[in-house]
Amino acid sequence: MTTRAGAERMHDAAAPTPAAQEAIWLYAITHSRDQAGLAGLPGVGGGQIRTLQSGPLTAVVESLDPGKFSAEGLQGRLSDPAELGVIARCHHDVVVAVAAEGPTLPFRLATVYVTDDRVHSLLSLRKDEFCHKLDWLAGRTECGIKAWADPDFLFTERGTTEPAARGPGGRPAGGEPPGPAEQSGSAYLFRRRAELAARVERQRLAARCGQEIHTALERLAAAAHLHPTQDPRSDGEEGLMVLNAAYLVESALLSEFADAAQAVGAEAGALKVDVTGPWPAYSFADGPDA
Amino acid sequence: MTREWALAPASRERLPTHPEPSSLVDILERVLDKGIVVAGDIRVDLLDIELLTIRLRLLIASVDRAKEMGIDWWEHDPTLSSGARDLAAENRQLRERIGALEASRTAGPGSRAKRAEPAAKPPTRPRKPSQ
Repeated sequence: MTTRAGAERMHDAAAPTPAAQEAIWLYAITHSRDQAGLAGLPGVGGGQIRTLQSGPLTAVVESLDPGKFSAEGLQGRLSDPAELGVIARCHHDVVVAVAAEGPTLPFRLATVYVTDDRVHSLLSLRKDEFCHKLDWLAGRTECGIKAWADPDFLFTERGTTEPAARGPGGRPAGGEPPGPAEQSGSAYLFRRRAELAARVERQRLAARCGQEIHTALERLAAAAHLHPTQDPRSDGEEGLMVLNAAYLVESALLSEFADAAQAVGAEAGALKVDVTGPWPAYSFADGPDA
Repeated sequence: MTREWALAPASRERLPTHPEPSSLVDILERVLDKGIVVAGDIRVDLLDIELLTIRLRLLIASVDRAKEMGIDWWEHDPTLSSGARDLAAENRQLRERIGALEASRTAGPGSRAKRAEPAAKPPTRPRKPSQ
């Protein structure tokens, strides 16, 4: 954790080290100068949300108390789960308000500069890149798709017929307590091997279910991004999450995309498909060339 | 999957639905991991925060349930646990099992009589690996 000023690779020539440090929190970049929707929104530091213009670009920022938001202070706040939650929601709410006005590039959480001039120089040095990305995002929105499956159901309905993945008598292996006749060492090892094979098979089927949904939806989207799957219990859902992805879709076709996701999920044997968003294009801030 | 899906504008008028409040997990995975990355002047190690707050906290909460379902892929994820630990556990369980078998064998013919009687389970029977 370091405080760096002036040594920045991207624009060190443009900005000398500022004498008195401020802390400027960056929310997003957009074209629109009209950000009336930001009025009254609480910022991460409780300050006024404001805009900085540079040519065709507008940066949405907030000045923070440099005492509370020094590098150490910020790291400490973000390491506290409760404060992190509040800051993340504040940041997100502002980005959502900006995205309501037009294509928007959100900044990653905790992007902080020390003066307005540093933000201006960022906008002017990377103007072409940011404009290119904003053009690509115009008229599009990020749609989140999560899908859950029941591996036992997939195993029963769509599983392999390989004997190794089935227990004695052809029933799916695993879970059943051994009968007295199965307590010999070789029976135990056989059962363990069958259990492991069944477990691998469940994983394979769950992964395939998610892959099928993703493959179909990817074709309907301008771009797609896979997030790591979340904990099965983090939102009280049944089953195992097999897909957690974001798709960049035409805003006008968002509800059709959501319908398609449900249909594709049902066909792939998913237990449930959850559609979230529309999101600001967080997952596509790397642009079309990513 | 053989079917091709296509999007066409729906004939029915549908307002953009008011999205439900986004879950904090969904927000965190976006604001911490996505978005434009520029090297700001004040550096915060988000990776540490992300690892701590998202991956581990949620995974730890989920281990029991996922294991019930026979899913333990994270045990093979080198960033989350060591595969060697998995093998060691398996090894230990097998040793315990062999020990139990040898103990019942040296106990003589009585052990055979026990096997005919399902109610009398050997007390040294190893715990199931999922517990």
